[in-house]
Amino acid sequence: MAKKRKERKKGDAAKLEMTPMIDVVFQLLIFFIVTLKEEDILSHLDVSRPAPDPNSKPEEQVDDLLTIEVGRQAWVLNGRPYAGSAGLAALDRSLTRIASFSRGASVIIKCTGNSQHSRLVQLLNICAREGLTNISVFSL
Amino acid sequence: MRRKRSADGCDLDMTPMIDVVFQMIIFFIVTLKMDENINENIELEDAPESPVYKGEDKRTIIIEVDRRGWLSINNYQLTETKLRQIVRARYNKFGTFPVMIRADKKTEHKDVRKVMDICTDVGLWRIDFAAIKEAK
Repeated sequence: MAKKRKERKKGDAAKLEMTPMIDVVFQLLIFFIVTLKEEDILSHLDVSRPAPDPNSKPEEQVDDLLTIEVGRQAWVLNGRPYAGSAGLAALDRSLTRIASFSRGASVIIKCTGNSQHSRLVQLLNICAREGLTNISVFSL
Repeated sequence: MRRKRSADGCDLDMTPMIDVVFQMIIFFIVTLKMDENINENIELEDAPESPVYKGEDKRTIIIEVDRRGWLSINNYQLTETKLRQIVRARYNKFGTFPVMIRADKKTEHKDVRKVMDICTDVGLWRIDFAAIKEAK
């Protein structure tokens, strides 16, 4: 092999045809660029579901209890409904105020069957921001 | 670098371009995730204030609920009975494990409840809801 290589003159070196390779490589590049989709950063909202067995309940002391109902049209906090587009902002303010003087409050969320999941997530998002982590979700 | 000039115009040196293109292809191949079987039809609600989900616990089971209330795991559709069997079998084998519900924002709570009830019946009372921290 080494002999053969030596024998080859400079002028008649085999010329590799690059055009098909470049075509394929560009096709691959375009495929990857088109299919590239950056993943969203996910968050998790941790809740507890009251267990049917009393022995498997978490052993936590209930100091302060906050009950919020999630309905199809509105959230209800301490008997006061928060509806419409301004409802979420108003609920946000009320929860912030309550959370400021009872940080370790236990939150009980009661969801009606026809309420949208987004309402529950929006409520849990506020609770997460305010540091309310002891959350139980009931279904009505 | 000496450039050759042929009789019918200048020869473009292709080597650097090919190098760059190969580098880009390798980057895209490495970053491509082919193994993620998730239900793309599920639109999650935003929750920018909640903690980031890192997916560190490999035991986590992600249960998907779409807006029609259909249940699936890894984009594989399941009936309630089948889901119950899977969760129970997993619980019997490994003990308690984290459950994440990936429900569409328009899903009604009665459909999410089906999954929560199954988990509670089996003995899992901690449940996570997936949401979007930061949309890309």
